Amino acid sequence: MAQTPAPPPPQWLVDLDSTPSNSKPKQSYPDPLGFQVISKQQKSSNSKAVTQPRKQPTADEMDTLKLKKAWELALAPAKQLPMNAIGMYMTGNSLQIFSIMMVFMLFKAPIQAILNIQSTFQRLETDTNRQQMLGVKAAFVGCNLLALALGIWKVNGMGLLPTTRSDWLAWEMTREPVERAYFVPS
Amino acid sequence: MLLPLVAAATLLLAPALAVFSDEAWTVDYHFALLGAPKEETSFFHRPNPSSKASLIYTLSEEHALGAVNPRDGSVVWRQLLSPGRDAHNASFLRAGEGEDVVISGIGSEVAAWSAADGKLVWNLNTEGPLEDVEIVELSDGKETAGAKDAMTLSSGSHPTVQRIDGASGAVKWQYRIDGSDAPYQLSASSTQVFAILLHKTILGYVKLRVVALDPVTGRKTDEYTLSSENELATAENIISVGANSASPIIAWTDAAHTTLKVNVVGTKTISSFNIERHDDSAVERVRLHAPYHVNSLSHFLVHYETATSHWAEVYDIDLKNSKVDKAYSLPRVAGKGAFSTSTSDANVYFTRVTRDELSTVSSASHGVLGRWSLSSFGVASGIGEQVEPLHAVSEVSVKGDAVSAIRTTVLLSTGDWVLLRDGKGVWNRPEMLAGTVAVTFAIPANAAALVQQLEVEAHSNPVAAYIHRVRRHIADLQKLPSLLVSMPQRIVKGFLGTSADDLTGSDTFGFRQIIACATRSGRLVALDAGHPDRTLRNMEVADLKPGQSWRPSLSSSKDGVIQLSSMAGAGVDYNATDGQQLAESLPILPDEPDLATSNTVQYTMRGNSLEATYEYNPSWTFTPMHGERILGLVPRPVNDPVASIGKVLGDRRVLYKYLDSNVALLVTAHDESSKASFYVLNTASGAVIYSNVHAGVDLTAPISSIMSENWFAYSFTNEASDDASKGHQLVIGELFESLIPDDRGAMGAKSNYSSMQTDTEPFTLTQTYQIPEAISKLAVTRTRQGITSRQLLAVLPGSNAIVGIPYGIVDPRRPTNRDPTKDEQAEGLMRYTPVLEFDPKWYLNHQREVVGIKDVVTSPALIESTSLVFAYGLDIFGTRLSPSFSFDILGKDFNKFQMLATVAALAVATFVVAPLVMRKQVDQRWRFL
Repeated sequence: MAQTPAPPPPQWLVDLDSTPSNSKPKQSYPDPLGFQVISKQQKSSNSKAVTQPRKQPTADEMDTLKLKKAWELALAPAKQLPMNAIGMYMTGNSLQIFSIMMVFMLFKAPIQAILNIQSTFQRLETDTNRQQMLGVKAAFVGCNLLALALGIWKVNGMGLLPTTRSDWLAWEMTREPVERAYFVPS
Repeated sequence: MLLPLVAAATLLLAPALAVFSDEAWTVDYHFALLGAPKEETSFFHRPNPSSKASLIYTLSEEHALGAVNPRDGSVVWRQLLSPGRDAHNASFLRAGEGEDVVISGIGSEVAAWSAADGKLVWNLNTEGPLEDVEIVELSDGKETAGAKDAMTLSSGSHPTVQRIDGASGAVKWQYRIDGSDAPYQLSASSTQVFAILLHKTILGYVKLRVVALDPVTGRKTDEYTLSSENELATAENIISVGANSASPIIAWTDAAHTTLKVNVVGTKTISSFNIERHDDSAVERVRLHAPYHVNSLSHFLVHYETATSHWAEVYDIDLKNSKVDKAYSLPRVAGKGAFSTSTSDANVYFTRVTRDELSTVSSASHGVLGRWSLSSFGVASGIGEQVEPLHAVSEVSVKGDAVSAIRTTVLLSTGDWVLLRDGKGVWNRPEMLAGTVAVTFAIPANAAALVQQLEVEAHSNPVAAYIHRVRRHIADLQKLPSLLVSMPQRIVKGFLGTSADDLTGSDTFGFRQIIACATRSGRLVALDAGHPDRTLRNMEVADLKPGQSWRPSLSSSKDGVIQLSSMAGAGVDYNATDGQQLAESLPILPDEPDLATSNTVQYTMRGNSLEATYEYNPSWTFTPMHGERILGLVPRPVNDPVASIGKVLGDRRVLYKYLDSNVALLVTAHDESSKASFYVLNTASGAVIYSNVHAGVDLTAPISSIMSENWFAYSFTNEASDDASKGHQLVIGELFESLIPDDRGAMGAKSNYSSMQTDTEPFTLTQTYQIPEAISKLAVTRTRQGITSRQLLAVLPGSNAIVGIPYGIVDPRRPTNRDPTKDEQAEGLMRYTPVLEFDPKWYLNHQREVVGIKDVVTSPALIESTSLVFAYGLDIFGTRLSPSFSFDILGKDFNKFQMLATVAALAVATFVVAPLVMRKQVDQRWRFL
């Protein structure tokens, strides 16, 4: 197929693409409600404000900030604990799909969090705060373990932990009598 | 705290043990039997004189009186009569021509029953045992209109003839026969009543003494003794005394069956005939068939039987000079035959049934009026056994010179009672099963073979098992053609049916076990529990002489084999599927796993005590206290699997069961003080581990007991006393290692123990329930692994029913005088209530009446949830029970077709919608790019 030069854009497209001129005749009809004229100047001033260079914090400040952020991250699971506990209490101890799913989530979240601990704190870890970071990580693990403990408490409440004699009954052997007695009809 | 156990406990909980209405009549079966009918007490009779329809009435050898519909063989009504203490087992059933009652006589009781519905009209007890009952056919103008009078002859200290009013049952007159002669029979002609007595001469012979009575006044008119010389040695040689015919006759033969003597009662002339011998074998039996009506022709038929053949001769009586003449004879036919007499107005017809032919002749001439050939009677029999007709009853209607319709019921040598309509079998009733004395379940041989193969695979190493399995499947390929043939049918069935009623193919669930029944007549009958209406096999295993009895015991310790033994001694093995005898006379040992590895104690009942031997040395004896007699002993079943060794409580602690395979429940009775004692014995050491005495027990009522798992149950009837009224009680006792949870008792977790060296005493909890009816027999459901909860099966003779009481209902741990705690509720325990009403849902028989049940046997099916139940006695009743619901099988309500249709509809929908969705997705992509 032969290449044909693109036809000139239609007038409506040109109108649509071009911004309306700001120099509006005074006597013309008012703008519709909620219509804002975005002036090129405003736009440029906005972008100017964003791109204004911030005062770069020092390395020490940066470390403190990062540590602060890290502590915030580490203690986040603990903050969720009361909420989780109430949720667990409300779902009851019966074996239902809802409570089972809640319990599953309760177990899944902390374990996943502990497994992903490196990636969670990687952004905030620097060579200088590595030492302090250990404490933060330990706190994070502790908080998640608390959530796990809540899960275990719940599972125990549901009777799913083999803690009683009846759970091991199937492995207990019956006693075999040495003698066997048989009735012989006379 | 709610526990997950709640779910399990509610599952096991009772309420749900009903027989659902859609299961009744499909999973269960019931044969309403009468027992083998007797020849002289079976007849066709019209219950309503105005209608033409007749019923077959019979009073059977099991003393069941009943009416059978000749159209389909169903029982219209029946009554179980008690023979009393009368030993000679005589029973009579008579119906007057055109009467709407039938009159029965058994023991010393005469009773009239409404012929249409079997309701009692009147009954009367005579002083002594009955010797004969007859109906007075003659009219003297004094009897009540519409009801013919009955005449009885009773023996005892004062032999008496009585005439009983047919409508009210009042005695009209009675005549005491003097002398010490034994009354034999009663016989009535149109003008006189004759009482026939046997007079013993000094030489030991029997002479016939005839007392003639006036039927109206009951006065003696005549008395004479027949000069039977020295021919009659015993009463057994009297063939027949005609009852109500125009000219009643007495016939007898000498001991060697060479001459036949006939006397017309009322005269003194005796006609003598020589019995011709047709072949070398001697005549063994002579029978006489005569019409039973006053106004029918006075002809009779004499039926001669040898070991190999039979023939008959027809005689007629000249009424004027009381002369008996031979009219004609019927030819000799090999095998046994049966003759029946039927009348139509004055004409008399004789119907002859042989092995392969049915024919009817008139008494007047030997021309055959109708002849039908019988290919077979359509009943199961033993291998190579010839089915012989034993006796028959016929109803004949004759038009012109030919029989237009004939209905004949024949009792066959197999014990089946069949009806032939115009020579074609219409129905058959397995009446031999009414005399069932021992029953066992057996797995068919082919199923047993698979089970064995699977066991081999389970016990070998994985590689060998795999090779074995591949080989087995290659061998299975041989069945492929037959499988392909049946495939379409199976697929259709699989689509439309449910998994529960898959009866065409193999027995996946173990519902089609073989039920082997040993009958009192010495036969072994095999039924299919899945198709009970079809008798698989019916073979004679014991050749019993009349009056002889046997005590068979059946077992199936090996799969696919039925073991039969009589008394203790040698037994015989049979293949469960085809009935082939496997080995002869094998010594019977109790079901013991291995004599070499385990020490066995054998105990037996000797006189009134139990004696045990341990390794052939006397070990222990149990003798009840003075004045006590042993009523019964129930050992725990040898094969009684228990899944869990403890009971899990609501708080998940464990109460350990006392599971000892060597326990038995012994019941003794003390007649003087009317006390019943119950002992639980350790049968290895002889120790009494539990005992209880109940005072004021009615020892005439049945006392039933059962022992299973770690519990026992018994029931008895209380006598009325000052502080208690008469009532029936059910006692349940459960044995525990310890009553403290989580405690395994004194022995701890030892793996094996000897009850002779260690003294273990269980802790027993008992509970008593007041029940509305007496229980004559207790049984318990059995499942393969004992996981399923149990049901206590109780036979209620009072209401002719069997109930299945869930164990949870009678659990002795039900809390008394307080409401159950939450933990107990979780276990399904309810507050104890002393009165236990039988829930209508527990009745296994639904609305049928199961009469005369003597015992109930249970067997596990292949699937864990189900137990097979078979009850026998007079009736046969069988069903399948799932005490914890059918948790491992899809029920009837599961609609396979609906499920498959849903899947198919979804598949179609997916195929239809897929392109649409695809197009839409593509379109959307284009729009946003």
